[in-house]
Amino acid sequence: MKVNTNIYSKELKRYRNSFIAWSVSISVLILMEMAFFRFLIKGDMLNLMKIFFENPFWKKALAAFGWSADGLTNILGYYGARNAIYILLLGIFFSILLAGKILALEENEKTAEFLLTKPVTRLEVVRSKLAAFITYLLLLNIIILAIGFTGLEIFKGDSDYRPVAFLIYSSYSFLLMLAFGTIGLFISLLMKRGRPITNISIGIVFGGYLIDILSRVTASTEKFGYLSPFKFIDTGVLRPDYGLEWWRVLYFLGLSFLLITLTFIIYKKKDILI
Amino acid sequence: MMGEMYVIETQDLTKYYGKDRGIIDLSLEIEEGEIFGFIGPNGAGKSTTIRTLLGLIFPTAGNGRIFGLDIVKQTKAIKKQVGFMPSEVNYYAKMDGHELLQYSASFYNTDCESRIRDLAEIFALDLDRKIVDLSRGNRKKISILQSLIHRPRLLILDEPTSGLDPLMQAKFFDILKEENSRGTTIFLSSHTLSEVQKNCRRVGIIKEGKIIAVEDIETLRKKQLRRIQIEFAHPVQGEEITCLGMIASRADRNILSFMYSGRMNDLLEALAGKDVKDLIIEEPSLEEIFIHYYSDEKEDSRKV
Repeated sequence: MKVNTNIYSKELKRYRNSFIAWSVSISVLILMEMAFFRFLIKGDMLNLMKIFFENPFWKKALAAFGWSADGLTNILGYYGARNAIYILLLGIFFSILLAGKILALEENEKTAEFLLTKPVTRLEVVRSKLAAFITYLLLLNIIILAIGFTGLEIFKGDSDYRPVAFLIYSSYSFLLMLAFGTIGLFISLLMKRGRPITNISIGIVFGGYLIDILSRVTASTEKFGYLSPFKFIDTGVLRPDYGLEWWRVLYFLGLSFLLITLTFIIYKKKDILI
Repeated sequence: MMGEMYVIETQDLTKYYGKDRGIIDLSLEIEEGEIFGFIGPNGAGKSTTIRTLLGLIFPTAGNGRIFGLDIVKQTKAIKKQVGFMPSEVNYYAKMDGHELLQYSASFYNTDCESRIRDLAEIFALDLDRKIVDLSRGNRKKISILQSLIHRPRLLILDEPTSGLDPLMQAKFFDILKEENSRGTTIFLSSHTLSEVQKNCRRVGIIKEGKIIAVEDIETLRKKQLRRIQIEFAHPVQGEEITCLGMIASRADRNILSFMYSGRMNDLLEALAGKDVKDLIIEEPSLEEIFIHYYSDEKEDSRKV
């Protein structure tokens, strides 16, 4: 599994500024959200929101992501619920957009002609770019973990939480982002001459999100939800038995592995038309 | 080793893009140390040939070898020894010239720093400017450097001079000759015939995806093809003379001009009873020979 360090370090450099911008934005958002928790507890916000929790549709919809009147009064429950909407989605966008262009841009900007006439194999190119992508995704998740943990500690007040549950939730987040990233990588490969997949990516993420939410509202649509990767993340951070479940982990890793393998197979044989 | 080894060798190399023709049954043998010209009009399949040789696209049928290595399976080993200049230069816009060349050099395990400096000086190239800010000619110069800095054994050049001013073209060919004298084989694709005529020893002519001739430049010129112009004492009427081997004849008042590949005696006999004021027999340019090949092919296909 040889990675070409020239390509790897060039890719890291190329996307460094974009990575910094995403990391800073997400970090600031996490801290703002956490600060808002104190406001929520001190003010009478939760009572005002009761209307939502009493409406059966909204109750179910909100419960789908761990939103409940009780859950929101706990700092980790609050983190999980808010995070599912803001941070997780942002992280997924970072992932799918980066993976969607890290390989495809070479064709789109016609630099593939330069790169692929150097002494590198196609597989080394994919591997090196994949390595750069995973490096940034891991770094982003480490930052989210660190900032999230800091936020929890600063703003928890007298609300208590299990750090392990936070760690598990963060692992699920990472796996979900990884899975969406590999979806982006794979789809970008199918586009003619590396056309940008930004719109498709956004569609896939929101589509998946919507499928998951709708599937949780009624029992009849429950199975439908398994079409969406969102279905496989467990947001019930406050459950005492909350833990990493092997079938969820297997799903994320399996999906990622499958898409990466398909990417290798297709890219190895692909005509680079410029 | 198996007999004679060619630097580039293809057998019935064929590439279709879906149903569209790229190249058909292309067979080429290029010897070590030669400068081989590859000419044909746009869309004839020159770039398709080069992209297939370089593993950017994969052949539909046939096979090819460079340095005896398979162009599909051993492409990495091939590229270690190849320098390539594309016809249209597309580089990472945000890099400056120096970064691009260093990135390029990083793929070969040789120190190219002094070579980069020397060549930049020869071509009067400012390496501190970003690719995006460079003119087409300057990008082309970067491309020249990029193809040369690792001292490849084979240079594959796809219309290398388009966008270069005449002075730079001259410098470029000086460098190519220098490289060639060191033993570098050069595969020069072009649609500028004078360029090929001046710099190559052999030429392959490609038309509609097929090689229609591979000739020594000398042989090609010495082929019995002549440009003939006859001035009669009277206006040329209809078919003034008919002679086997006359091509593309054109009458303009008293003057009849045509290309002739037949026997001189036949022509002289045909002219014997005529009132000829002047007769000019010239060696045609490569361009005319080239066009002749094309018109020949067309006539052949009409017969079929």
